[in-house]
Amino acid sequence: MMQHQFSSSDGPIEVTLTRTDSGYSLAGHTLESTGDGRLKIRLSNGRIAYAHVAKAGDVWWVHLAGQTYRWERIEPGSSSSQNEGGLVAPMPGKVLDVLVKTGQEVQAGTPLMVLEAMKMEHRIVAAKDGVVTAIHFEAGDQVTQGAVLLELDE
Amino acid sequence: MITKVLVANRGEIACRILRACREAGIQTVAVCAPNDQGTLFTEMADELVVLDGDTIATTYLDQEQIIQAALSTGSDAIHPGFGFLSERAPFARSVKQSGIIWIGPSPEAIEQMGDKMTARQTMRNAGVPVIPGEEVESEDEHEALAALVEASERVGYPLLLKASSGGGGKGMRAVYDPSDFLQSAEGARREAVAAFGDGRIYIERLLNGSKHIEIQILADRHGRTVHLGERECSVQRRHQKVFEEAPGPTMTAELREAMGQAAIQAAQAVSYEGAGTVEFLLAPSGEFFFLEMNTRIQVEHPVTELVTGTDIVREQLRIASGQPMSCGDLNIRGHAIEVRLYAEDAANNFLPSIGPLAVFRPPEGPGIRLDAGVREGDEVTPNYDPMLAKLIVWAPSREEALQRMRRALDDFVILGTTTNVRFLRELCDAQPIVDGTTTTTTIDEHWPNGWTPTPAPLLEDASLLAAAAGETMGMHRTTTASLDGESQGLPSPFSTLNRRYP
Repeated sequence: MMQHQFSSSDGPIEVTLTRTDSGYSLAGHTLESTGDGRLKIRLSNGRIAYAHVAKAGDVWWVHLAGQTYRWERIEPGSSSSQNEGGLVAPMPGKVLDVLVKTGQEVQAGTPLMVLEAMKMEHRIVAAKDGVVTAIHFEAGDQVTQGAVLLELDE
Repeated sequence: MITKVLVANRGEIACRILRACREAGIQTVAVCAPNDQGTLFTEMADELVVLDGDTIATTYLDQEQIIQAALSTGSDAIHPGFGFLSERAPFARSVKQSGIIWIGPSPEAIEQMGDKMTARQTMRNAGVPVIPGEEVESEDEHEALAALVEASERVGYPLLLKASSGGGGKGMRAVYDPSDFLQSAEGARREAVAAFGDGRIYIERLLNGSKHIEIQILADRHGRTVHLGERECSVQRRHQKVFEEAPGPTMTAELREAMGQAAIQAAQAVSYEGAGTVEFLLAPSGEFFFLEMNTRIQVEHPVTELVTGTDIVREQLRIASGQPMSCGDLNIRGHAIEVRLYAEDAANNFLPSIGPLAVFRPPEGPGIRLDAGVREGDEVTPNYDPMLAKLIVWAPSREEALQRMRRALDDFVILGTTTNVRFLRELCDAQPIVDGTTTTTTIDEHWPNGWTPTPAPLLEDASLLAAAAGETMGMHRTTTASLDGESQGLPSPFSTLNRRYP
């Protein structure tokens, strides 16, 4: 398969590879396998760089010339169920404090919840203005990574 | 003499101590929580005791269980590392009472320095300058908060709230505006109670624009107390050090001598023994103030080792067994830099991250040292501190050390878990780092809106090519089975020989 979709902060990215004699190319860059788990890339500017790649879950991790990229692959046919306005726990932890009430209007930057993880307090803040429509946890609750903590409507 | 050391710690520092013991010909015992079984340090010891419990309090902080493990394995010494029980005087006391050597200073010295408020008073009495501030002794939450509010008015703003039992930035809050004081004080108390079981807080004037300079101390039972020069650890984020170097880029021989002597005075004031660190703030005025003394080995000790040619952990073992320390006169050579590698998302407010270390390939080459607590294939869990490793470089000059650090960070490949490697790499290009003019607020000033990586569109496109090609070629489906098959190729003549002459 030569066509792949990855998710990015600007929405899904469609990637269509072109087959070459010894590998693949994209946007002027060409690539071939080295056989030892690395990929040799000739960049469009003529420079050679070696990429280390690994897949963990749906995510492709790529290390290239001192940069590390993570590209989450969207399986063909899967509908992207992005969490609209829901605020998810960035990591497992314990809810220490809920600083808002359901129905409360908040502005971008308003602290909403205090989470304890790895022995440090982390503040969950509103990314945009809106109204709190639901709060799913209270102080003392344990949360898993990715759990929707509360929901905001614009 | 010490013949068998139990290391009451985990991760990177446990590895460091276990290696030093092995080099010294000392047998080792590691203790681990059940959820640490199979991690790197557990494989480095001669013996392993799996502690019974499922929280930190019932494993690495369980004093009785650890002493029992030492007794049952016939260990004659305990090395506490840093964090956990390293600065708990009652533990040091119980260890000694059980007839086991405590690799560290006396319980009395730990007490005098460990309680930060007591330490400030001890230092004032010893003539060592301390940061202007006030201590509030009240245990009662309501009374303490009221007293703190009053004290805050006398100390003035901006100020720093600190936990008396604190460390590692926990229970610490900077307050710039009186209207934020109460909320910050409550937060600091809460964090201090959770982390140390002691909610007492004191106030210090916040000396912005200061450098964090610390002096490494060694003291033995043969009358010698020496300093090994300074480390500059100004570059901090939420009071966690991230970039440390020796010597200090702006240090002069006179100032080093003055601070070194103050540190020796501080150590002698509590009859200190072993390795310790006296931390100072160096104000823009050139005045320096005692911050605290850490009565243990410190995370950033390697930079001192590289520029002074000492092995501080080895000296700790020597001193604890009653021998004189082996290091001679202070002789600083070249420049060393350490960065702390954390599993955290620097671009997302440095939130800790978890995941597999699918690929973990450290840099190599001259002047590069890696003190790691993990290896490829490990899983980063939320159970413990997110520090994975320390990368330390040495070079003849500061400029070359920075160049070497940049190259080393570019070569460091970690896939599967988000780390701060790129942040550290870009930190090496930040002007205050290049100039050596770092202060404790450098990161906040340099990236006032948080850090985001400098875009590299060309590499980003090429990385998409790599990801897509990886998927197309099914690179994630290749296993090591084929490799194993190959390595079992031809029979070795030596195994045949072995079989014939057993």
